[in-house]
Amino acid sequence: MTDSIAFNDVRTLRALLGSGRVTPTELVDVFAGRIGRYNGLSKAFITVTAETARNQAIRLKRTDLEQSTFAGIPYASKDLFDVKGVLTTAGSKVFHDRVAEADAHVISLLRAAHAISMGKTNLHEFAYGATGENDVFGTAVNAYDPTRLAGGSSSGSAAAVAFGLVPAALGTDTGGSVRAPAALCGLVGIKPTVGRVSTSGVVPYCWTLDHVGVITRTVADCADLLSLVASHDPNDPASINRPPENYADELDLDIAGLRIGVPRNFYYDRADNEILAALEDVKRYLVAQGVTLVPVTFPDMEHSRTVSLTVQMPEALSAHSAYLQRRGELYGADFRAGLALGQCILAEHYIKAKRFLEFYRQRTNRLFDDVDLLLTPATPEIAQKVGTVAIERNGVTETIGNAITRYTSFFNLTGHPALTMPCALHSLGLPIGLQLVGRYFEEKTILRTAQVIARNDRFSIPPPTAAI
Amino acid sequence: MQDVTKNTLAGIFSQMAAHGWSQSEIDELLEPRMGVITGLQDLLNELEEVRKIDLGTVPPAMGVRNTDTHD
Repeated sequence: MTDSIAFNDVRTLRALLGSGRVTPTELVDVFAGRIGRYNGLSKAFITVTAETARNQAIRLKRTDLEQSTFAGIPYASKDLFDVKGVLTTAGSKVFHDRVAEADAHVISLLRAAHAISMGKTNLHEFAYGATGENDVFGTAVNAYDPTRLAGGSSSGSAAAVAFGLVPAALGTDTGGSVRAPAALCGLVGIKPTVGRVSTSGVVPYCWTLDHVGVITRTVADCADLLSLVASHDPNDPASINRPPENYADELDLDIAGLRIGVPRNFYYDRADNEILAALEDVKRYLVAQGVTLVPVTFPDMEHSRTVSLTVQMPEALSAHSAYLQRRGELYGADFRAGLALGQCILAEHYIKAKRFLEFYRQRTNRLFDDVDLLLTPATPEIAQKVGTVAIERNGVTETIGNAITRYTSFFNLTGHPALTMPCALHSLGLPIGLQLVGRYFEEKTILRTAQVIARNDRFSIPPPTAAI
Repeated sequence: MQDVTKNTLAGIFSQMAAHGWSQSEIDELLEPRMGVITGLQDLLNELEEVRKIDLGTVPPAMGVRNTDTHD
């Protein structure tokens, strides 16, 4: 068995398993071998559980492989997800000894589906930050140019898929932490409707804005994996009690007649010209498929970043209060500074920010009276060099973290489902991504449209050479 | 609204229920050097603007549990 299958999508790997041309054990060995060779460069994994994965693969019976779309398929999870018996570091020294006593809800679903966990992936400490820079475990890099960031905070999950170390991974998204790294690494990432996927057993950063999401190589794999992890969880107070859905069952439908909103304000301002040009190309293609593009105006977003920060930092401080008292000296300096900021926010500010969330939700819902989806760039910039602090564009200087998540964070405030996917390669050889946003619980419309785009070769990008 | 000072922050952190933040952390709040956080004064100024915006009867967001339709 060679590395040649490492960049296949899950559906192709499933076909190989189904035909008997590849066994689950051989698949685990291929990916474990690649992790061994590429983890030093990619810094994608914090903990590798290849031996456990191999034992699980050996035990799988032929009938087990028919149980789900991910049976026998290796995957990884951001090191915030509890996997029973495995360390959950959250990318921090604070959790250096925190061995999970039970699986997170989504991990238990994947275990029941006979998917095979290969380990835990790197991240910005406690998911605080969009660059993925981590002083303890190193910084996960971009497979298209290892001198550049993978993006974060689910940096290791994106790097693991992009480097061909696993075909799919779980991440969390509080301001774009699944969608932005997926876009910067040329992958598909989805953050479903808030509450659709349980966060129980996942180390919290900000209860109000945290979402579990998935990162895959293709839209179809994204739909399949989301179908497995989207289920009601009575242990998660935010979990929504809706029946399971097969998110892949509308992938073959066309999109003629859909109305797609194109924001007049904010989303097409101050971005790399090649990104804007790529989106124009996508728009022309969508129109040719029978879509009507509708200009829309977003609610005033002048204060949205302040609102987001005002919700995030007090919640993070509350989530970490006990650990701060017991192990405060083990936190990274940047996260401690953020927590100190949370200490300065008054209750009135926090409540006002939560009211703004509701205001944004109502206004964004009204946009969906006129359109079925929204189309935006995924990020205003391509992946930046490791160590970049700020980006200047059109005379405006912006911290890199804010720039990476500028187009994604609003939909954590509103809770609408959103997907990013590649649509072009920049002249510097780095992926350009787009973002599709839908109504609550209408992930299928997003995925169907994404699949129509993905089917056209002119929007596909080559695999990263650094990983081959 | 006056600008916040180091003495004010040190006083708040020592005289009200708070975690034990170091002098360097207080410095980072007022003069950020790590490129991660917005300076506290900028944030406080923005929060003062936000506080003055009248949202009428809009309540705090409570999730989308009952929002099966889009409004």
